[in-house]
Amino acid sequence: MGAIQLLLLSILLFLASALIALFWSISGRAARLLVGLLGLVASLVGVAAAGLALTAGVTPALYMFQIEPFGWLKLEMDGLSALLVGLITLVGVGTSLYSISTAQCQRMVGFFTPLFMAAMLVVVTVSNGFFFLVFWELMTLVSYFLVIWESGKEESARTGYLYMLVAHAGAALLMVAFLVLFQKADSFDFRLWRQTYLSPGLKNLVFLLVFVGFGAKAGMVPLHFWTPGTYRAAPDHVSALMAGVMKKTAIYGILRVCVDLLGVTSWWWGFTILAFGVLSAVLGAFYALAERDIKRLLAYSSVENVGIILMGVGVGMLGIAVQQPVLAVLGFLAALYHMLNHAFFKGLLFMGAGWAINQSGTADLNRMGGLARRMPWTAFAFLVGALAVSAIPPLNGFVSEWFTYQAFFTASNTSAFVTRVFSPVCAVLLAFAGAFAVMVYIKAYGGAFTGPARSRAAASAQEAPGMMQVSMLYMVLGCLVLGIGAPLVAPWIAGAAASFARLPPVVVSNGWQVFPAETAQAVLSPPLVLLLLAGLLVVPLALGALYAGSRVKTRSGVPPWTCGYGYDKSMSVSASSFDQPVKVSFHPLYWVRTLVDRPFRAITDFGHSALGVILRAEPVVETVVTRPTARLVETAGQWIQALQMGDIRVYCLYIILTLAILLLVIFGGSGL
Amino acid sequence: MTTVGLISIGVLQALILLLAAPLFSGFARVMRAKMHSRKGPPIRQNYLDIIKLMKRQEVISEQASWVFRATPYISMAAMLLVALLVPFLAVVSPLGAAGDLILVVYLFALPRVFFSLAGLDSGSTFGGIGGRRELLVAALIEPILLLVVFVLALLAGSTNLGTISSKVATGELPYTLAFWLSLAAFAFTTFVEMGKLPFDLGEAEQELQEGPLTEYSGRSLAIAKWSIYLKQLVLVALFLGLFLPFGSMTTLSPLGALVSVLAFFVKAILFYFVVAVLENAMARMRFMKVPAATWLALGAAVLSFVFYLANI
Repeated sequence: MGAIQLLLLSILLFLASALIALFWSISGRAARLLVGLLGLVASLVGVAAAGLALTAGVTPALYMFQIEPFGWLKLEMDGLSALLVGLITLVGVGTSLYSISTAQCQRMVGFFTPLFMAAMLVVVTVSNGFFFLVFWELMTLVSYFLVIWESGKEESARTGYLYMLVAHAGAALLMVAFLVLFQKADSFDFRLWRQTYLSPGLKNLVFLLVFVGFGAKAGMVPLHFWTPGTYRAAPDHVSALMAGVMKKTAIYGILRVCVDLLGVTSWWWGFTILAFGVLSAVLGAFYALAERDIKRLLAYSSVENVGIILMGVGVGMLGIAVQQPVLAVLGFLAALYHMLNHAFFKGLLFMGAGWAINQSGTADLNRMGGLARRMPWTAFAFLVGALAVSAIPPLNGFVSEWFTYQAFFTASNTSAFVTRVFSPVCAVLLAFAGAFAVMVYIKAYGGAFTGPARSRAAASAQEAPGMMQVSMLYMVLGCLVLGIGAPLVAPWIAGAAASFARLPPVVVSNGWQVFPAETAQAVLSPPLVLLLLAGLLVVPLALGALYAGSRVKTRSGVPPWTCGYGYDKSMSVSASSFDQPVKVSFHPLYWVRTLVDRPFRAITDFGHSALGVILRAEPVVETVVTRPTARLVETAGQWIQALQMGDIRVYCLYIILTLAILLLVIFGGSGL
Repeated sequence: MTTVGLISIGVLQALILLLAAPLFSGFARVMRAKMHSRKGPPIRQNYLDIIKLMKRQEVISEQASWVFRATPYISMAAMLLVALLVPFLAVVSPLGAAGDLILVVYLFALPRVFFSLAGLDSGSTFGGIGGRRELLVAALIEPILLLVVFVLALLAGSTNLGTISSKVATGELPYTLAFWLSLAAFAFTTFVEMGKLPFDLGEAEQELQEGPLTEYSGRSLAIAKWSIYLKQLVLVALFLGLFLPFGSMTTLSPLGALVSVLAFFVKAILFYFVVAVLENAMARMRFMKVPAATWLALGAAVLSFVFYLANI
């Protein structure tokens, strides 16, 4: 069986899992287990498909069916698609396991989640513009239902509406762009779009439409405002999918259309993407720091990470524009690597946060606390995710940020003055965002898992059920493997990056090391770093063992020192007091948010008023046609009712009168 | 250099930094006392403190989890790893195969992250406040540090530690205005990262009872303090190795090793001397005023970048 057939099998298995969730009569554990296991199998088949496609190179397309005039629905897997399929299904393994033991996985969630997975798989493999849009919209629609899964919650409904509005505005732009391409190529086939000539002006137009359209879905600043509420409202494992995976389909779209189909022609394309990437990274980190709600905090942190990914994409496109293929591959490698890493650690963080919220009954960091002692495994998993996203070596977040820095370094050495000026500046801003990300995650872990319990629910929290622990450990393992296994992983990603952009391949690893094309520029060996860190732990442990004999046994369970006063749990530092100095020191950046938000608030307000108009416009037919008719029938009825008196004699009178009138009509007419 | 040679230099570096770290901090204490016209402790006081603490009972907060217990050990291991990476005895990085300057910058984040977490984990007020202050300073300093690193790496054409060090030593990297300004900015960030006045915010002794260290006692406190001394000396070694690698070995020989060790001690003592003079000549600054002070370093770093672009 070829890679593409395996992919189809995976999609079909997801559909089967959705149907089972819909029609299974006994809700609860058995159904959840079956749906989850089927999702797991489907994900594993998808992983196999991606692996096969990556190793086999070019795989033939799978022609499904044809609709005139839109052309064939065909699935294709080049390096980029295979990587995305791998990303979706690898995270799918974790979320499927998680869904088995979460009570949030009811019938509706169980039905829509596999559909969501299937839609995403088609989006990243379909090679026809029309069907791409169809499945893109399907993906949005299905995820919309997942956002509003909690029936009767007004907040969810409002959030879902905003999400729908932004997603559709973005999709509308994509539609325009694709129609322009269709009009020029006279086909929706990606293969023909590649060969079609577009005038520079038209190309720029398509680029802008596509960038903004996909950018809205990716949640880059300033189109990010829908993300916090949406991730907050969705079930935990769906938040993990939306933040970790769905955003990446938008990045995929940018890469596919701008790099593969259009071919980068102007240097300002890469520059625009780079600029928005920097903006998203810095502001995303800042807004995350200001959040008290753990899921919203994670959502803003996703905005930051999308910024980092866009930085890589921007550098890669600059590399193509200035005709430096090595730089281009490095940029795309950094972006794709960070994409994969972010999927794992953000998925993991949403899962951990989900259980913490479940147990403490609140998402407010100020009302959690002390969970590390009550759910040590969840806390450990969350901490690994937090360290990975904070780019602590040798975890995976560091490796991809290292590649981003190296891409910037390579860009700084090009001859173009603009890149020489801006690449180091961008690297500095990345470091700036990184430093704040560290603070964000110490705040998140510190607020939820350390210190005293700040509410009664948090004080009686329980460890996550077994299957949930397994799913989180799987994600932890992913973070470790992608970090330490960089010498094995990086060449695959670099290969995919080079092949989809039609660039010569670049060697990025040798033995235990990774490097940015040239070992003279820099080398990094994550496995060696891990080994040495673990090995060097022996030194302080040995030092600590000195004088062990003459030491009194350690005493624990003592209240913290408070200058001799009695300890009270309100004395510990809470999450919102944690970031207070930063808010004061950097208040101008928060002012930027209000500034940036204003026009977009206007857009959503416009959306609301437009909805009002629609609501008023909709009943026109009713008021003009339906309602008067109904009223007429009603009054006629009342008139007729007056004839009914309930007296048998009156009814006899009616009958006689009727007979008399009928006789008169019949015989009177005949001239009698 | 051969692998055996590199390994021996690496082990020598780690040993020297680990064992000499309390000595240099002791020197700083003596300097401070002299400038205050006090008699002060003997220079070996830090060793005595560590030994004394090792023997004492350890008391652990009821709020603490394993993060709190593991932090001193992780911190010291991370700093030892940097000690293996920094090229200060020879103009090559003994562990250049493991990583570059960017790795070093990020490895310095490791103890910071864990001490901040430990501060929160202990449930102590002082620990939490110290942790957040430490992170704010990091957020101010890290971008500056990275800009300097970039300028230096661009001048050298590589982010490899050994390459930079050897190019500076041989003069292949021109001593332009850009180089001197980045040296100044790097020295400033080293000063800040060493936690010296007025930047001793996280571990402020007078107002925060040493911040994240508040809850540590006994053996853990000994390891934690030692790892902080080590961090300070490693920072100095990094600065000296990158910007002033004069006297460092270019080929491996016992005599060369002796000379480079001596040269390092002389340079490091001088650096600590300057740091002590600066620190004790300065008043404490209000915590919220500190961001303004770091603009100086940012200015120097940006200027060095501009001069690099202009080729001056």
